[in-house]
Amino acid sequence: MHISEGVLSGPVLISGGIIAATGTYIGLKNIDLEHIANVGILSATFFVASLIHINIGPSSVHLILNGIIGLLLGWAAIPAILVALILQTVFFQFGGITVLGINTIIMAAPAIIGYYLFSPFVFSSRTVTTATAFVCGALAVFLSALLMAMSLMFTEENFLEVSALVVTSHLPVMVVEGIITVFCISFLKKVRPEIFPSYRQQHKSLNSQFST
Amino acid sequence: MNITEPFAIGNSGIHLLDPRPRVVIAVLFSTITAVLQQFPPLFLAFALALFLVFRARLNPVIVGKRLTILGLFLTMIWLLVPLTFEGELVTRFWKLNIYLPGIVYSAKITIKSVTILLIFMSLVATMPITTLGHTLHRLRLPEKLVFLLLITYRYLFVIGEEYVRLRTAMKIRGFKSGTNLHSFKTTAYLIGMLFVRASVRAERVNQAMRLRGFNGHFYSLEDFAAYRSSGWFLTFALSLLILILVLEWLL
Amino acid sequence: MAALTTDSAKTDPLIRITDLTFIYPGSVKPVLRQLNLDFHQGERVGIMAPNGSGKTTLFYLLMGLLKPDSGTIEIFGKPVRSEKEFENIRKRIGMLFQDSDDQLFSPTVLEDVAFGPLNLGKKPAEAKLIARDTLNQLGLEGFENRVTHKLSGGEKRLVSLATVLAMEPEVLLLDEPSNGLDEETKTRLITHLSDLDLSYMIISHDHDFLYELAQSNYTMKNGQLEPMERMHIHYHSHPHTSHRH
Repeated sequence: MHISEGVLSGPVLISGGIIAATGTYIGLKNIDLEHIANVGILSATFFVASLIHINIGPSSVHLILNGIIGLLLGWAAIPAILVALILQTVFFQFGGITVLGINTIIMAAPAIIGYYLFSPFVFSSRTVTTATAFVCGALAVFLSALLMAMSLMFTEENFLEVSALVVTSHLPVMVVEGIITVFCISFLKKVRPEIFPSYRQQHKSLNSQFST
Repeated sequence: MNITEPFAIGNSGIHLLDPRPRVVIAVLFSTITAVLQQFPPLFLAFALALFLVFRARLNPVIVGKRLTILGLFLTMIWLLVPLTFEGELVTRFWKLNIYLPGIVYSAKITIKSVTILLIFMSLVATMPITTLGHTLHRLRLPEKLVFLLLITYRYLFVIGEEYVRLRTAMKIRGFKSGTNLHSFKTTAYLIGMLFVRASVRAERVNQAMRLRGFNGHFYSLEDFAAYRSSGWFLTFALSLLILILVLEWLL
Repeated sequence: MAALTTDSAKTDPLIRITDLTFIYPGSVKPVLRQLNLDFHQGERVGIMAPNGSGKTTLFYLLMGLLKPDSGTIEIFGKPVRSEKEFENIRKRIGMLFQDSDDQLFSPTVLEDVAFGPLNLGKKPAEAKLIARDTLNQLGLEGFENRVTHKLSGGEKRLVSLATVLAMEPEVLLLDEPSNGLDEETKTRLITHLSDLDLSYMIISHDHDFLYELAQSNYTMKNGQLEPMERMHIHYHSHPHTSHRH
């Protein structure tokens, strides 16, 4: 989900840039040497996975997955998303230089909110995890759409209708992302629980397995 | 997955220029364009961007294709904004009011978005990602961010290939994506599998980096002295940018 | 490059492993159980054993990527335990990973090969020179500016070897080096490895490959290394009968 160049006002772009830079700074502080490769490679996975299209009736949407990336990376999600957006700009000319900051916030702020609200429940009972994972995935998309709508409204009040359209058009995506997040989280929890930072914090001494 | 950098390699005047001033000018120029309100400076900015694309000798067909990415977005703008930006009425079409401020606003958005995209293609997309990484490093962006960018870029292709393999395996077993729970579940497991493999791989990459003495420092081998001096480019670009700003202020 | 140091007496092993035991967390059965090995300068040792028998684990322990549950590892005559001690060891022992995509994490070949030397404190110009020399030595002239992800599998393996050799190690640990290579690249790799003035251990399932390169071979049983008779691999000329574990 991103805003194209040329729409937003100077103040919105500049505030976006400053908030994103601060967030990136905090995110980078949270990445120690041992985890640079992890964040980079998960960021690459996020990039690839967000190119996957899902059919909704006759049309198709591409996945956003910021709820999942938040649960997997915590604060490091901000630089990871920033980097993925830079690469999208270079490869596909999606987004662009001046909207890099605001687009990072649109994607990353919901990821961080999701991380704080929902990572405590990843290892709860099946019902709780299912419910919270759904809300996490859906809420992240909703918040992204809301942030996008707000940045349009701050630019120009006449964007009310456009903003409303942004939010309503994402409603089906919210449901799909919620469902995808449920299955994805339950899969990761079973197959590789140590991928979650919350798990690693609880099992600090754990040497993870690798095949011989 | 088809990821290419069609403009990265070339020997035009722009390709041979030092990448650092190119990135700086691209950021300045795009930001200025984004905040312009008047048509004359906007047209001047557009002309300058076109000139840069011409100087970079970019393949016009690919430039055109990349611009069509804006098509859907601009269509939405032109369909909505002229109807909702209330002000002087231009005409009534069927039962819809079409307003002048809406048309003016849509026109500005169109010029701005196309101009900024052209600037990016001519000044930034004309260097490989690795060069961009080294340039950002020289421009004092944090080492960790540059590392992240380069590692993400490197493993994009490895993971893209893994995705294609998994996808093919699913297809062979008769999977067709549709709007149903089974499809969503399968896709979610596919994504989960990509993340699992990425995480396992990251552990090995980290070990390989440690074995080779990784200490968090980013050492750049890019030889910026090998590029053409950028004096004329800086003077030319900066004076035009100032002219654009002066026009904006005067009008 | 790669000159062998001769300061230690000939009889002292380069690597001495005593009663090494390792259990993966969450598992009860040790992968390595009181494993012993003396590895001398100039030796070329092959290790051939089924998957999951602990070969890679042994390499990881030697490099300090895993910590043993008990036992000692002495390298270059000194016991190594702490991360600091292993950091010094890593400058002298190079390890080639099974999957070259794990080893080559830089976007271009030159950057990747120069990465190790730069971390060892070499100046960029010097690191570039070492990288070029190493590439040339492996017949990879003109590969400097190639983009890593666009290399073929065989090229990736050779460049990986270059990244290890550029650090001028005295010992190489090679994990399945011939895996997934076509015959031509395999022959090339054999030529380069046998030309090197280095001691090495090779993990491999490939009889031909070990036959060409290793002077002695081990297998792993019950978490220990057991010498294999040379004649056990005589059927290298009948590769299709080779998988009868």
